[in-house]
Amino acid sequence: MSTKALIFDIQRFSLNDGPGIRTTVFLKGCPLDCLWCHNPESKSFFPEVSFTGELCEECRKEANDFIRKSEISAESLIEGFPFCPSCRENIDHSPKGSLKIVGRPVNLEEAVSEILKDVDYYKNSNGGVTISGGEPLSQLKFTLALLKRLKELDIHTAVETCGLAPEESFQKLLPVTDLFLYDYKATGEDIHRRLTGSTNRAILSNLDFLYRNNANIILRLPLVPGINDSEEHLEAIALLARKYPSLSGIEIMPYHNIGNDKARKLGKPSPIEALKTAPEEIKQGWAEKLLSMGCTSVTVS
Amino acid sequence: MKNNILQAELNFTEIYKKYKDAHPATREAMCLKVQYPAFFTEIQDEDLFAGRIRHTLVGLTPDEWGPTAFGYYCQEREIRELMAKSNLDNSYKEKIEEMLFFWKTENTSARLRISYPEDMARWLPTDDWMHDYGIGFPLYRLTGGNINFGKLLKLGIPGLSDEIRRYKASAEIESRGTEIYDAMLLALEVFVDICMYYASQANQMAEKENRKERKAELLEMAAVLEAITVTKPRTFREALQMFWLYSLAADIRNYGRMDVYLGDFLVNDLTSDTFSESEAQRLLDSIWRLMAARKTVVHNRVIIGGLGRRNEKNADLFALMAMQATLNVKEAEPQLSLRFYKGMNPMLMAKALDTIAEGRTYPMLYNDDVNIPSVESAFGFNRALSEQYVPYGCGEYIIDHKSFGTPSGVINLLKALEVTLHNGIDPSTGRKIGLSLGEFETFDTFDKLFEAYKKQVEHFVDLLARQEELEYKVAGETAPFLFMSMLYDGCLEKGLGAFSGGIDYLGGTLETYGNSNTADSLTAIKKLVYDEKRLSHKDLLKALDQNFEGFKDERELMLNCPKYGNDDECADSMLLKVHTHVAEYTRSQKAKTNLHSYLIVIINNSANTLLGHQTSASADGRKSGEPMNNGNTPTSGFDRQGITAMLNSIVKPSTYIHAGAVQNMKFSRDLFTKKRPVVESLLATYFEKGGAQAMITVLNRNDLENAMKEPEKYGHIFVRVGGFSARFVELSRDVQMEILNRTLY
Repeated sequence: MSTKALIFDIQRFSLNDGPGIRTTVFLKGCPLDCLWCHNPESKSFFPEVSFTGELCEECRKEANDFIRKSEISAESLIEGFPFCPSCRENIDHSPKGSLKIVGRPVNLEEAVSEILKDVDYYKNSNGGVTISGGEPLSQLKFTLALLKRLKELDIHTAVETCGLAPEESFQKLLPVTDLFLYDYKATGEDIHRRLTGSTNRAILSNLDFLYRNNANIILRLPLVPGINDSEEHLEAIALLARKYPSLSGIEIMPYHNIGNDKARKLGKPSPIEALKTAPEEIKQGWAEKLLSMGCTSVTVS
Repeated sequence: MKNNILQAELNFTEIYKKYKDAHPATREAMCLKVQYPAFFTEIQDEDLFAGRIRHTLVGLTPDEWGPTAFGYYCQEREIRELMAKSNLDNSYKEKIEEMLFFWKTENTSARLRISYPEDMARWLPTDDWMHDYGIGFPLYRLTGGNINFGKLLKLGIPGLSDEIRRYKASAEIESRGTEIYDAMLLALEVFVDICMYYASQANQMAEKENRKERKAELLEMAAVLEAITVTKPRTFREALQMFWLYSLAADIRNYGRMDVYLGDFLVNDLTSDTFSESEAQRLLDSIWRLMAARKTVVHNRVIIGGLGRRNEKNADLFALMAMQATLNVKEAEPQLSLRFYKGMNPMLMAKALDTIAEGRTYPMLYNDDVNIPSVESAFGFNRALSEQYVPYGCGEYIIDHKSFGTPSGVINLLKALEVTLHNGIDPSTGRKIGLSLGEFETFDTFDKLFEAYKKQVEHFVDLLARQEELEYKVAGETAPFLFMSMLYDGCLEKGLGAFSGGIDYLGGTLETYGNSNTADSLTAIKKLVYDEKRLSHKDLLKALDQNFEGFKDERELMLNCPKYGNDDECADSMLLKVHTHVAEYTRSQKAKTNLHSYLIVIINNSANTLLGHQTSASADGRKSGEPMNNGNTPTSGFDRQGITAMLNSIVKPSTYIHAGAVQNMKFSRDLFTKKRPVVESLLATYFEKGGAQAMITVLNRNDLENAMKEPEKYGHIFVRVGGFSARFVELSRDVQMEILNRTLY
């Protein structure tokens, strides 16, 4: 049997997840649960119903359980699933395509054939392929197999990771990953747990492991105004930058709220729904502060 | 009483009548004498060169002044409107009526129309392609001529006159007719008259002028105009003036390889101490403004760059300044077009992208590495000739001052499919406008349907090829088009007018529309009716006939079928089928006619929208009356897999079997300015993969507002945020607004 993964998107002409023109494969499922996640559909390891209209909790849960067990199209779900009368009415009165199933299984060959369509663009732009998510290391078998195949094809590889995975997993990725886009989300174990659902102990140790093994790493900082942009956090980042002087870069990923839309459709409204997208002055302020603390090569994504 | 309107038109008519039965060349020369300088209007305050036109409502043109105004034309509708507005006495009115009556049968379109054989008249019954319902339409015009401006500037009036006299002398020796040479010499006299008319106007204006600088400019203008009547152009300024005025006199609206024929003048002047680059730029900007004022809508092509330039270095300098002129003069015309090839001076492409980044749409990019071999193959020209290809008008190729290929026909492929599905009947009017090849239901396989569609298309291609041939024949009998012919290779040598056997390679082109919609419709029909049998023949037709009203789900099914532009094998292979068929079949007309070539063009203008108005709902999900796709571009909103997928699709149809196709692409300003290296590599890859052409629009605020009105048509807008996955069209309205305001703009 071929290696399979659950993905929620393959995005071509991706320009902000590593160098050049890339294709980004988004794997579904993540061990963290960040407050600000802009890909809320990436959290669950199972397919989910996404609907622009109202669905009652019960119907949503049952439908999600149902699609977890059987691979089914949105069309057949709409046709065959026993939604309650009120949900049924909502669905029937919504435009076609309002109800979708997020998450589909792909096998390695399918993913590779989609990726290869743009191979000439990668070559000319020094681009390549990024595996993102969700957490790519949570579907290690697929991620590893895909990376190996890409290296055989001489395609540049990047992995975007939250850092939470066993060290052995990173060890396996090392020889086939040209670039790690490594998240650093919060400083202090308690704060980290509060904001992401897990401590940062393993994350920091994995970062250390990769660095010591000469991995090419860009540190990515999701910064959310008033939530994880404290002086203390920025200082900790500066400290990391001093500790790891050969990092390939530090990228600020300013908070934006355009993921909220997707969360609502999944029936999981964002806990920080009211928070506005970070304005330009704040973004620049973060960058300047980091530079003043001695960080070099800071960019705002 | 205001009895002075239409004086030029009445005079023209009188002279035409007087010389009606004279040799066509003589008649034309005499007509030119009265047509000019009435045709020309006053020098405007900002002009550094003389030459602005208003077209008269009766006259002679190789091009067109309206759907049927070509050759000897008379615009009756416009004249009647003018009469209605003017207070004329009865005898004057009568004079005008008499003129209208005379031209009714004497104008070239009418003469062409009445010479249609029966079957042509039966199947091409209407000339009103903008409003009427039809599959094929004739177009009356002899457009796209690119004359030898280089020769004009090299010889000047004295040199060109000498050359004509030499040819006349040998014609006399060989006892061939010399009327055409005499007429050409007369035409050149008319040109001298135009120069002197403007020289005296400039002098008069200078006399009244109080501003010192402007006075000097006008005096300089007069001096230049006088000089070019007696000597060949010696300076950049004289060359520009000569080029410009001649293009107006000849009514030639496309300018060919300007960098080649003006580059040496430019560099020569720049090596002197008295002429600066900024002065040269000022002159060029002025020409750009005059071109814009000419408002040709679809012409005004200036070609720069490319292989086969004898003076590449000088031409490159001109090309860079031409792009600067396009940046300085922010007008819709001229249509600046850059030809490029691997190894060309990289400054040109860099400057081109800078210009495009400003939202100028120009220069349009033409890839010589693809186009030259394509021209060799499609037209059957050798390499050296093919290197001299020039795009004109909406994107058709010809060989600079050597070949001709006016688009004299339009075919609406989607209408051909629509009529085939209705057994020859146009469902909107109930009229029989196509071949009856059987009811849709009787086509029990997709192949049978496709065969019928092909037959329908072929029927009209045959007719339109013959129409083009006939159009040339009638035009050739009517006039030699002196200004054009004396600078078109082959004509002087043979002593023949351009369309009377003068031009060496007289070919034609056929404009095809709705190509992508037709392919996507066939894909949907094949999938839904034949392969998956999800819709019956009847239901599909019903849904289309009802414009999907009451057939929402059926339309959804159609919309969800694979579409061209997504790098999708199924959809793209259907496009290839449609493309290859119409292109190859049209190309095969070479054997059936006297045309040197007959090729399709897939071009950019508003015909996709205008013809769409008269085209019913189609099986790709397009509603009745909506625009069809433009050029070789996917239907708006149907390309949803991003730019790389779109580019991969559009390089699939062969460029080796047609005479030009236009590829529109849109980018956000953000991408173009902040990610310039990415854009460069994206385009480089597209061109390496066989991309022949690119017309790039950088989206501005206005486009984005339109996107908000109809987000479903902007499936190609992608949200570019690190690590973020979303498609624009799937987001809610407020979020779309947020993205348009922030991410894209």
